[in-house]
Amino acid sequence: MKGMIFLTGMSLIAEEARTFTIEGPLKSISFELFGKEWIISESVVMQWVVLIVLGVLFFVFGRNLKVVPTSRRQVIAEWVVTLFEGQVIGTMGQSYKKAYTPYIGSLFCFIAVSCLMGIFGLRNPTSDLSVTLSWGLITFVLVLYNKLKTGGVKGYLKSFFEPMPFMLPFNIIGDFANPIAQSLRLFGNNISGMVIGGLVYFALGGFAAGLLSIGVPAVLSLYFDFFSAIIQSFIFITLTMSYVSMAEA
Amino acid sequence: MEQAIVLGASALGAGIAMIAGLGPGIGEGYCGGKAVEAIGRQPEASGAITKQMIIGDALAETTGLYSLIIALLLMYANPFIGQLG
Repeated sequence: MKGMIFLTGMSLIAEEARTFTIEGPLKSISFELFGKEWIISESVVMQWVVLIVLGVLFFVFGRNLKVVPTSRRQVIAEWVVTLFEGQVIGTMGQSYKKAYTPYIGSLFCFIAVSCLMGIFGLRNPTSDLSVTLSWGLITFVLVLYNKLKTGGVKGYLKSFFEPMPFMLPFNIIGDFANPIAQSLRLFGNNISGMVIGGLVYFALGGFAAGLLSIGVPAVLSLYFDFFSAIIQSFIFITLTMSYVSMAEA
Repeated sequence: MEQAIVLGASALGAGIAMIAGLGPGIGEGYCGGKAVEAIGRQPEASGAITKQMIIGDALAETTGLYSLIIALLLMYANPFIGQLG
């Protein structure tokens, strides 16, 4: 991904026209297998980092649990679990609590931590469409499984012809639009944060004002990295929950 | 010369694509306004209303993000430059 933006006002100060580029994810590992080159990109490696961080965190918080909590660690863990249980009950209903709270909770943590990696100067995996699309497809498979479980193959095929048979193409598009919309929403939010952050750094570089380049990006980062990340992961799990509960209705 | 035309037209296209930002703006404005009305009528339900409002906002935002992706494609991963040969 390469491109150029000329800031005409800036170029007067910087004397020569500077260019602003956005780099795609790097190739971290590439190897040959079956005569083809396989690439493991930076986004995948960053997801491994998120997995390790979350795994260690969950392991530490889940050790030595007692019926009556005595440690602060267990109180925090119980509070977080109760929070997710409340979300699942509120959106899906009481009967889903046991089956879906672990999945929804870990999905939220995974997406939120992935988005928050931008704060530490790492490349966040969510600014790669293939990553968010795979998350959307996981939800799609989950919804498909639930539809097949309740209605069977016949019921699932029949649902395409409702309410009228001529609605078939619209129903098919509507079915496949969900994962695409879900993944593009997450991707668009993160990439827009990245681009705007990069542009602001680029513009402030021309002024060479130390105070501005510390203060202004911090405010933007607070909105785009922190607020947006939490809201978007919350929306992702809410949509997943409502799709699943709609599939069983 | 050809490249200049393609670059300029792509920049214009990116700008025009972002006119789609109007739609989500209007939609989110409605959403926020209705949420304030609802909270004014029923202040005790403000938590649930705010939650629903944020979800509605995010859904309304999607169309704007589609146009943003088109604009970003035109600026940073231009598919037309490659067709010049």
